[in-house]
Amino acid sequence: MAIPFPFSAIVGQDEMKLAIQIVAIDPKVGGILALGDRGTGKSTAVRALADLLPPLQVVVGCSYGCDPASNSATCSDCAALKEAGKRPKTQTRPVPVVDLPLGASEDRVVGALDLEKALSLGIKAFSPGLLAQANRGFLYIDEVNLLEDHLVDLLIDVAASGENVVEREGLSVRHPARFVLVGSGNPEEGELRPQLLDRFGLSVEVRTPQDIDQRIAVIKRRDAFERDPQGFRDEWALQNQGLREHILKARKLLDKVKVGDDLLRLCAQLCQSLGTDGLRAELTLMRACRSLAAMQGHKAATPAHLRTVAPMALRHRLRRNPLDDTGSGTRVERALTEVLGA
Amino acid sequence: MNLAWDDALWALAALHIDPVGMHGIWLRAPHGPVRDEWLSLLQHLRPNVRRLPNNIDSERLLGGLDLSATLSTGRPVTQAGLLAQSDQSLLLAPMAERMAPEAAAILGQVLDSGRVTPHGGGDTQDARLGLIALDEALEDEPGMSESLQERLGLWLDLRHLGRQETASDEVLGLLGVLASPGEQADTERQTVFERLRTLRLNDEQIQAITQMAQAMGIDSMRAPLACVRLACVLAALRESEAVEDVDLGRAARLCLTPRATQMPAPPEQEAPPEQPPEPPAEAPAPPEPTPPDNQPTPEQPPDAPQEDTPPQDMGEMLLEAALASLPPDVLAQLASTRAAPIKGGGQSRSGEVRQSRSRGSPLPPRPGLPRQGARLHVLATLGHAAPRQKLRTSVASAEGTASRLKIRAEDFHVHRFAQRSQTCLIFAIDASGSAALHRLAEAKGAVELLLAQSYSRRDQVCVVGFRGTQAEVLLPPTKSLVRAKRSLAGLPGGGGTPLPHAIKLALELALQQRRLGVSPSLVMLCDGRANVSLEGIGGRAQALQESLSWANAWRAQGLPSIWIDTSARPEPQAQQIALAMGSRYVPLPQASSQRMAQVVQAAAN
Repeated sequence: MAIPFPFSAIVGQDEMKLAIQIVAIDPKVGGILALGDRGTGKSTAVRALADLLPPLQVVVGCSYGCDPASNSATCSDCAALKEAGKRPKTQTRPVPVVDLPLGASEDRVVGALDLEKALSLGIKAFSPGLLAQANRGFLYIDEVNLLEDHLVDLLIDVAASGENVVEREGLSVRHPARFVLVGSGNPEEGELRPQLLDRFGLSVEVRTPQDIDQRIAVIKRRDAFERDPQGFRDEWALQNQGLREHILKARKLLDKVKVGDDLLRLCAQLCQSLGTDGLRAELTLMRACRSLAAMQGHKAATPAHLRTVAPMALRHRLRRNPLDDTGSGTRVERALTEVLGA
Repeated sequence: MNLAWDDALWALAALHIDPVGMHGIWLRAPHGPVRDEWLSLLQHLRPNVRRLPNNIDSERLLGGLDLSATLSTGRPVTQAGLLAQSDQSLLLAPMAERMAPEAAAILGQVLDSGRVTPHGGGDTQDARLGLIALDEALEDEPGMSESLQERLGLWLDLRHLGRQETASDEVLGLLGVLASPGEQADTERQTVFERLRTLRLNDEQIQAITQMAQAMGIDSMRAPLACVRLACVLAALRESEAVEDVDLGRAARLCLTPRATQMPAPPEQEAPPEQPPEPPAEAPAPPEPTPPDNQPTPEQPPDAPQEDTPPQDMGEMLLEAALASLPPDVLAQLASTRAAPIKGGGQSRSGEVRQSRSRGSPLPPRPGLPRQGARLHVLATLGHAAPRQKLRTSVASAEGTASRLKIRAEDFHVHRFAQRSQTCLIFAIDASGSAALHRLAEAKGAVELLLAQSYSRRDQVCVVGFRGTQAEVLLPPTKSLVRAKRSLAGLPGGGGTPLPHAIKLALELALQQRRLGVSPSLVMLCDGRANVSLEGIGGRAQALQESLSWANAWRAQGLPSIWIDTSARPEPQAQQIALAMGSRYVPLPQASSQRMAQVVQAAAN
């Protein structure tokens, strides 16, 4: 594994870091879409995500990294193990953060016939693709707005169903593919389809820090990291550890956080006044509020939490007149003031 | 001594010492003696540098199953890809401007992560390398993939250099030592690399670089980072104990100046502390700060800091050094890089192949060898081989070989995929005085509606406006609606009708798009009353004549177009030119924006 830049050493980018922590606490919030110019550190932040996530328990010998605690045999590997009457062995593994390269072929993404086995043994076997690798983890697409249309279709479908169905080359396989979609891109280069936008829970706008001291800090840390990645990581290991423990604590608290009816009403009002379609926006708002409250150690979500997460959760969902210049962030702010009062 | 050429050689030495830290170089130069000279010096330094063929398939790039070895041994045999083979080394990519988008995406990822995953999965391998991307794109052509440009530390432009340039003895001597035969060269490189480890920039130097990047309007943090690293490498090359001003200046010229999107304020003034909040893309041409009068011409290198001069502020010194190698017309260039067609259209090169062999919706497999990006269709191959097994086995057992699956070359089938070709809609909008102002507003409205439609189809759009003495590209091909809208809003009306220039410009754009594999079509909104010639001189007869000949040129290329006559009643001259262009002619005497859009949409489908 290449050594990622430590999360806690990232300078600035507060909104991005907040969104990542919210999602790390509760992946059900949905993915993150990071929009911004090149070289603003979007992918650095995303790749550092793994630092925040406590490792997973997985079934040994399962290509899809299934959870030993779940009883339903969701994938063929686990089903085979169960049939053999063996108690599955478990092991811990870091949460997968899988990169989807732009030029990836469909075979590579969904999986394909195992060439090696087909050629050397003459048997038909399935070789899992990136979607299988990403199960229970994160799927990261850099420059998501440049993704080929047919891959977008595929992802939209899998992200919604949590299952990858392969019916090709004489293979008939279905396996769990529940992952959190994380995308980054530069909006100047192309727009995203609304259906794909909707699959992202939160969206953040990333900018290079304009403050010269922050910029200098970025350069210094990055330079130090490139000179000695391992040493730099060790230096920040303690902070990373602290963050990770904080996330774990928040996760434990998550179920206890109350989201009152008043707050749900506010969420609904907010979505209504912005005209977002469907209930997904409300659900995301609610979950993000809860996750933020848990992160701050509160037992109940408050309108203050709502105010913090609303721009991230709604910005990309506004039905948008493509020729309207008003930034969607501004529209969310306006609606927030209307609903919550100044 | 020529400063630009001198810098080019320093860049070469730096790449040789620290390919991984530099990430590579974006070298813009035509094929010619200057570039050849640079490349032959590279050849001396690194005789075994690998080349990246433009038609490379991802299997070869990433590594994967070695099909022939696997078939002959019956065991899976993997081979390392070009990227993994270039670990800790340099990789040369000729004609990078034509690089397939998939390859560019893969390279970008590898440059970021330093790791490569073989095709079809498997363990990741180290692939820390520096890429030498040779970009031969002309001024008006889109260059190499922007995301790849961004990741390469050094940017070098040799397009303005003549052939007999000379460099300083210092760098020539250095290259000589680094290229000396035998083990001495290796030892020398090691020594420099070791020295590099001990070198650091001090806080003041880092601050100066960061400030300058900001003053030049460079938003990406990769540029100042590369600059910091390069300064250290240059100091190590000079066998210096510390990074000095001369290193900073060179590094800034190679990493920052070429990326500048605005001219920094002249050294006398304080650099503006904050960028304006709006993205610089929409800022008009920089407000033309005159370059310092004492700017050295390329023949006079900037004065190296002398002992007797009073200590200069670090920022001022750096700025002066960074501007030293700029050709005099740099202001115009800087202004043009903002609007140059390089921006925006770079990602659309995949449309070339209507029947792609790698992506898209699947078509039935066909016989063929899996090469040049075609993927082996295993099932079809096995299916073809299966009925012939008995025959082959009997022949083979006569030869005494074991009974394995016998697959011959003629069995191979490859995947085929259908891929939709991209389209680009070029709008040419007459904003002259004769196209009365209210018509212009209608035309703008119609274009906006069409834009929204093409957005839903994900076409690219491009806007050419013409008035006064010439036509200009208001918006290079893009998918971004926001930019399209902005460019339209900024289109003023009034003046003559330089129709010949408009058709010429549209034709150039269309051909350029076609070369990229995009299918262009034109929507011309004009009343046909041409009265300004190509040279920008008034005169109806001349303008009509030229319009007709360019219209013929358009038709000769077989490009589709629609002519919307915006005059109050159908204008014979517009009809005449439209006929010459082979356009569909649509008179729209009382058009509303809505109707205009409907007509174009109907005609376009």
